Amino acid sequence: MNTPLNRFATLIWLALVILTIMTFCIGEEVSAGKTVMLSVLLISLIKGQLIANYFMGLRHVSWLWRGIILGYFVVVGGMIAIAYLK
Amino acid sequence: MNTNTALVNKTEDLPGDFAIWIFILAEMLVFGVMFIVYAFARSNQLEVFNASQLTLSRGMGTLNTIILITSSYFVVRAVSAIKTGNARQSAHWLLGTIFLGAMFVAVKLWEFKQKFAAGITLETNDFYMYYLTLTFFHLMHVLMGMIILACIVYKLKHGDYSAQEHFGVETGASFWHMVDLLWIVLFPLIYIIR
Repeated sequence: MNTPLNRFATLIWLALVILTIMTFCIGEEVSAGKTVMLSVLLISLIKGQLIANYFMGLRHVSWLWRGIILGYFVVVGGMIAIAYLK
Repeated sequence: MNTNTALVNKTEDLPGDFAIWIFILAEMLVFGVMFIVYAFARSNQLEVFNASQLTLSRGMGTLNTIILITSSYFVVRAVSAIKTGNARQSAHWLLGTIFLGAMFVAVKLWEFKQKFAAGITLETNDFYMYYLTLTFFHLMHVLMGMIILACIVYKLKHGDYSAQEHFGVETGASFWHMVDLLWIVLFPLIYIIR
């Protein structure tokens, strides 16, 4: 059934595919560097938020759970960035 | 508080069983530690990691990412279908998810085969040790997710879930999304960032 909610989920899927292709293009076209690392990590954070909030359905649950997932991506991504900038 | 305010402020319960969310957090913590360990190990052997990473197929990694994202979308549709009482359609979406999971496994096994054929093992160097370990560990979660979804399909076909009672479907869906969420970090970390 093509409800508005399903159509919205389809748009989120499309956004995730575009962000994945962007990540691939960055890996193919741009040589190594801090900008690449930070932009790819930022894309991962956005994708993680889209999946957690709209696919996993955390958008309407307590802010604590959304905060945990966001915190996970910020802490893990931040530590990866620190290791790469070391 | 009037009715409208109450509706706006209403928060829902977590989808599925609370226990699966504890499991999800534990799994994410374990993977998170491994991601950070990989990143710091890389910083001590930059040349080895960068040279070895270039031997990976970024195209295959991207393909697998799109496969997993699409499978997660199928799961969203399966949950949406059972919420309207359409168990048959829900089962079809989940069978599609299992098919995509099998495609992910096939691509990953092809990648492993290529590496083993080139004589690469866990002992070749630290990069391949992390690459093989992390992706194999994640692959095990994909297989576990496929088994969980297959059990849900079986129950859907036997009328065990409905618009009112679909707790199990949401629980399995949450696990599958976690598998996707982990790959979202694993893919750029191993295949792209250098």
